[in-house]
Amino acid sequence: MQIKKFLKPIEPIFNKGLDRVGSIIHAHKKVNFLFGALFGAFDGLLRSPKETAQSPPFIRNNYDVKRFMGAVLVALVIGWVLPAIYFYGWQCVISKLLVSFIIGVFVVDVLWAIIAREDHISEGGFVSCLLVPAILPPQSPLWLVGLGAAAAILFRNILGGVGYNLVNPALFSRLFLTVCFPALLVTGYQTPFTGMPDLHTFRYGLDAVTHATPLTAFKTNGEVASYLSLLFGTASGSLGETCRLALILTGLWLIKIKVVNWRLPVSYLGSVFAISVFFSLTMGKAVAPPIFQILSGGLILGAFFMATDPITTTYSQKAKWIYGAGCGFITVLLRDFTTLSEGAMYAILLMNLVAVPIQSLIVRTRYRR
Amino acid sequence: MLRKKEIPGFKGGFNLLDTYPLRFFNIIEKVSSDTTPGIFEFPPATQKIEHVVVNLCPTEPWALPNWAIFGHRVNVFFNKLKEIRDRFFPAVQYCIALNNKDIETIAAARNFAGSEERVRVFPLDAKYPQDDSVVLSKVVLGVDINFGQEAMSRGIFIMDAQTVSAIYDSCISGNKVDSRFIAVSGTGLKENELVQVQLGTPVEKVLSDRVIEGGKYRVFLNGPLRGKEITDLSYRVNWTINNIVVLREQDYKVMFPLFKSEELMFTTNVHGEVRRCVYCNFCDNICPVDLEPALYYHSYQRGERHKARLYNLERCIECGLCSFVCPSKLELLKIIRECK
Repeated sequence: MQIKKFLKPIEPIFNKGLDRVGSIIHAHKKVNFLFGALFGAFDGLLRSPKETAQSPPFIRNNYDVKRFMGAVLVALVIGWVLPAIYFYGWQCVISKLLVSFIIGVFVVDVLWAIIAREDHISEGGFVSCLLVPAILPPQSPLWLVGLGAAAAILFRNILGGVGYNLVNPALFSRLFLTVCFPALLVTGYQTPFTGMPDLHTFRYGLDAVTHATPLTAFKTNGEVASYLSLLFGTASGSLGETCRLALILTGLWLIKIKVVNWRLPVSYLGSVFAISVFFSLTMGKAVAPPIFQILSGGLILGAFFMATDPITTTYSQKAKWIYGAGCGFITVLLRDFTTLSEGAMYAILLMNLVAVPIQSLIVRTRYRR
Repeated sequence: MLRKKEIPGFKGGFNLLDTYPLRFFNIIEKVSSDTTPGIFEFPPATQKIEHVVVNLCPTEPWALPNWAIFGHRVNVFFNKLKEIRDRFFPAVQYCIALNNKDIETIAAARNFAGSEERVRVFPLDAKYPQDDSVVLSKVVLGVDINFGQEAMSRGIFIMDAQTVSAIYDSCISGNKVDSRFIAVSGTGLKENELVQVQLGTPVEKVLSDRVIEGGKYRVFLNGPLRGKEITDLSYRVNWTINNIVVLREQDYKVMFPLFKSEELMFTTNVHGEVRRCVYCNFCDNICPVDLEPALYYHSYQRGERHKARLYNLERCIECGLCSFVCPSKLELLKIIRECK
């Protein structure tokens, strides 16, 4: 109510201003060509659309893609940005976010909209660009983050934009960076700061102290990190994946408001647990124990925020179980039996591709005559 | 997953009653047509009737509420029903579908059913489109009828409270029934009202003095979800019209829509920009007949309308919920109708 009262006097001013800018932009062909989409996106954030339903049903739900994506953004900010600021200092986190957003959304996406004459700029870019720094090491250089964001958005747009992307753009960019700069992606796992932050640590965290990620440590000397440190985020890892507790809570919130389909995290985490229990029973200490598997690496972030990206999963609900189980199976296989320490990224990317045949198979079996 | 077994129902659907809480005030007046009014006639049964379904479970908030017919005398209504049963359908199965929150009516219905096996009472979840004839006969009787097929052709006679009352008045009391109650509601009106209208009255006359002055509005017969829009307001009211909804035409931009959801809610605005399908599964979660509307959209996009028909398209009951809920604002119902 307070906000409403506060906004009331400035509304007509804004409204008039936006109308005027809009009419100027639309009146000049060349200006419209360059800035039409950008203005449209900005206008769409501030004002409701004026389109009305012309075919039945004549009332529509007030839930749109902006709210859908907005919910994911809110969840990600609470799930990884705030904990990361505490653990690694705001300078590290905010600068990466700024670089990611500016290069990903405001440069690459806007340029693409101008060149390809898209009529709007999608909100999905914000989600991808918020995920890109989260899956890179805390000490990765800023140019790496920028390159990752650019690769993610460019790749998504080349495939046809939001709605047509075959694989998760953020994970694809991480794969691209892993191939191009392998050395940068295995180092720079800064030790998270714990305790009461003072001004210095709040800004920089524990700079320069790095530590192998729990999964790498397990691979090299069989050391299992404490589950509590994994849960709260005091073990090292990529920037956004460490505080699993916040990620789980925000993920559950997303499930509650039905942005995330509950079948995917349940089947993904469940299959990781089941398969690693099986391997632990048969092979003993040679493979990672089940709870450690679930709490380490990017699994929680992947299960709640990446595998659930609705566009890259299957549409059919039953196929989602197969998809999630496949992700879990590949993750455990890669972690336990290859030289790779972390497999969630490859598992999700691979299953993104396999989702297409799974979907058509399920559709064919369901509607077979 | 634990499921409540005692309430029969269907998967999907949407609770419109909670989303659009409309309240009708007890202002009931008679609007007379200027011509000779139409007369309600009880249609002679062309088919042998095996089941009678009394639908006392309106699921749309703008539909005519039961209390308009009952008054506060539910028992009187059931006595009427009893006489109709004795006179016209002595040996058929009776099913009474009720809103499971309406405890008073349920008690009266159970009282009416007594120990007879021919009468069954179904307290149902009042989520839209429970009162659709296809869904209703599936849930209550377990009979599949196709969309567009008359329920009568399968021996099922579905009647609502108003029809029961009219049959009683015209065939048993011997009065001529030349008017009916119509629920008139919406954001385009000053007040939501229940109006008794003579059959044959133009819609224009029903709405006169009721619509808001200044500002555009659109008129829908039988609800904005399933009904049709009329632009010619000289359309004459007949017995099939249960309600008239008048919605404000929200065809201008509004600042900060997030803080004004209440104001924008019950209007014709689409509340969002058209985007591509993001496979959010909202449409197949809400579908009352377990279809996957996004498949039709993708078939349509690729120009393969014949393919859409493979995905059980004929089972669609055109309730409009998929378009209603789609966050990408795709015209799914339009696409489905074109593919059919």
